[in-house]
Amino acid sequence: MKLSRLIFPALLAASLSAQGLDPAKLMKLSTDTWPTYNGDYSGRRFSPLSRINASNVTSMTLAWEYRINLGSAADGDNTSVKSTPLEVNGVLYFTVPDHAWAVDARTGRQLWHYKWETHGGIHIGNRGFGMYGDWLYFETPDNYLICLNAKDGTERWHVEIADVKQEYFSTPAPIVVRNHVIVGVGGDSLDVPGYLEARDPETGQVQWRWNSTPRKGEFGADTWPNQEAMEHGGGMTWVPGTYDPELNLYYLGTGNPNPVMAGQGRKGDNLWTCSIVALNPDNGKLAWYFQASPHDTHDWDAAQTPVLVDGQINGQSRKLIVQASRNGYFFVLDRTNGKNILSKPFIDLNWSKGVDAKGQPIPDPAKEPHTNGTLVIPASGGASNWPPPSFDPETGLLYVNSSSSYSLFYLTDTEDKPEGYGGRDSGVWSKVALKAIDYKTGQIRWSHEYGRGGGGSGILTTAGKLLFTGDPYGNFIAYDPATGHILWHTHLIANVSNGPMTFELDGKQYLVVGAGDSLYAFTVLH
Amino acid sequence: MSRLLQTGAGVIIFAAGIVPLPAQPPPAQPPRPGRSFLISRDVPDPAGVERGQKIFVARCGFCHGSNANGGESGPDLVRSVLALDDEGGDKIGPVIRNGRPDKGMPAFPLTDDQIKDVGAFLRSRQQAAINRNAYTIQNIVTGDAKKGQAYFNGAGRCNTCHSPTGDLGGIANKYDPVALQSRLVYPRTQRPRRAEGPEPKVIPTPVTVTLASGQTVTGTLEYIDDFDVALRDASGDYRSFTRDAGVKVDVRDPLAAHEELLKKYTDEEMHNLVAYLETLK
Repeated sequence: MKLSRLIFPALLAASLSAQGLDPAKLMKLSTDTWPTYNGDYSGRRFSPLSRINASNVTSMTLAWEYRINLGSAADGDNTSVKSTPLEVNGVLYFTVPDHAWAVDARTGRQLWHYKWETHGGIHIGNRGFGMYGDWLYFETPDNYLICLNAKDGTERWHVEIADVKQEYFSTPAPIVVRNHVIVGVGGDSLDVPGYLEARDPETGQVQWRWNSTPRKGEFGADTWPNQEAMEHGGGMTWVPGTYDPELNLYYLGTGNPNPVMAGQGRKGDNLWTCSIVALNPDNGKLAWYFQASPHDTHDWDAAQTPVLVDGQINGQSRKLIVQASRNGYFFVLDRTNGKNILSKPFIDLNWSKGVDAKGQPIPDPAKEPHTNGTLVIPASGGASNWPPPSFDPETGLLYVNSSSSYSLFYLTDTEDKPEGYGGRDSGVWSKVALKAIDYKTGQIRWSHEYGRGGGGSGILTTAGKLLFTGDPYGNFIAYDPATGHILWHTHLIANVSNGPMTFELDGKQYLVVGAGDSLYAFTVLH
Repeated sequence: MSRLLQTGAGVIIFAAGIVPLPAQPPPAQPPRPGRSFLISRDVPDPAGVERGQKIFVARCGFCHGSNANGGESGPDLVRSVLALDDEGGDKIGPVIRNGRPDKGMPAFPLTDDQIKDVGAFLRSRQQAAINRNAYTIQNIVTGDAKKGQAYFNGAGRCNTCHSPTGDLGGIANKYDPVALQSRLVYPRTQRPRRAEGPEPKVIPTPVTVTLASGQTVTGTLEYIDDFDVALRDASGDYRSFTRDAGVKVDVRDPLAAHEELLKKYTDEEMHNLVAYLETLK
């Protein structure tokens, strides 16, 4: 591993202010900083902090609460905190659609609030900031990448990254790799093609674009029936990816194909939708892919975080990716080459005829949406979704809030060339559970059933032998990650709506979690 | 205000009428016809859409398809970036009037109003594709009613709890087929919640709480999570309990049989059942 790859030289040369982010913080598990969406590039959301631990968590108490108040102008705004705050030099930075805040990480006191005047787009959520030196980056529902000064929240520039009139809308947190601000887009209402871009941190200009469906004549084009289908084939890039600095590969789970539920106009596997892909962050070139759902017709994207695990398979040290995918399969891949090691369902499912030689599930055509309704598990919301999972290297378990859900899938557009969703589904039943999956075998080591309900919360594990997440009833809970035993809980104003995060300041560990329009910080007093 | 309130009810009403408005009333929002979660642009006037459709079918449909989703010689205009970018005919107008000779499209001398109407029709077609919540489900009564009846009284054991002349008498008049299919698979319930407010009608779930002392309390489940349970007892009183060690909670799920069947149904059995229930008018 070359040092030049690790630290962007120009940034080192530039004088960093007290507020700015030292890029070295991105490269290892930090204790005083949470500098990127998942805390570090691995997507593990495992913190080495242990000041709050299994023996004192029962005395954990509220340090502060910050509640979003947009006043009467809030009509139509979505104030649910789905972003994971960044914490850099004692300041927390977080977002909801069109809005961003900085608050004092010790007190919750607001330092600034930024508002974007929107041009429209679906206001479903925002996953937060990326940071580079003194600059913050976030995306908006109308597809602008906005660069703010971390010091005071003033706007430095904004650039359009997708066209809202084509029904794109953007939710991901940008991921900063050296001098690349990696931005994704969303929107599957009207058959537009997905892509991932790297933008220049100084100007916002495009450095490269990777298209998540091939263009005519390119590799993968034979998995689509024609040019029009692939260029209107979806594959959104709406959940932040992970990055291995040694391999210099950025890993991304891609969205579902379009039209979403009517597959008759796009016969074939539809690469690279519903896939885990590895890209070179310097040029956007595809290194390998693995398709989690060939020819998906159920809205089961594979956008869930591809978590990097350095583990042992048959006594060999391996660089792995694990993903609890929306279609209900748990996948383990070799992240150097994308070769499948394990594919195993983590819920009961009824749509698959097993897996092929590459470990890719084989969909059962009988369970595609039909005009008179097809009963399928899981529902379109999937066995898992965007809420971030966590991998604890001390237990060797991947934790995910999973949903077992039945839905009736209806094909509504029977034309040869359907449009939009081309179908709809109607959920009839669901049960949710927190599951602990052994990465070596795919076995469910323990499962905590919540009963009927939906939704899911993000997860954090720590070296304090704790797992934090929310249940479907507004409780924020600390579990023993080895056994699933509940150690502590409190009731918040709404269900946990983001991934909990943690950091240490002045010898005090804080745990910060979003629930609806509120951000809570907890700590243990000494 | 509080001073006025002391003088009597009539004054309160008067006072309510003269309460000064906030110093800066919120600015009036411009009307946004038809906007919703999925539709963030104005929904066009239906009369304009209708006029535009007639013009489109007559003049454009031959090449672009009468639904504007493309034909043998003309591209799909529902997904067209130019048509999506259009506002009131400003983008499509020049193309219609000038044609695209290089691509074989002739010029059409439409008036401004006609172009605007064609734009309204295209917007309505785009929004019909975008708004999946408004998609129409086709005929779903495709099963064999006789086989459905046999399943009802046989393998499905539905007759254990239900009767075609009792609780299900006239069920086909009460729900449309799509709702009926959904409800037969699993009746709608509201998950327990803490929030106040009117609860939608739920199927009552019997619960028995046994306290550490051995005392039992029975009632209808109001709320349950890992930490607390609440019920309403026979006299209508609300009772809640912390689920401490030694407290036992026994919930009798009245829909357990539906949950069991979920895992067993074939789609054909489900469709046959719908066809059978549709005969119960």
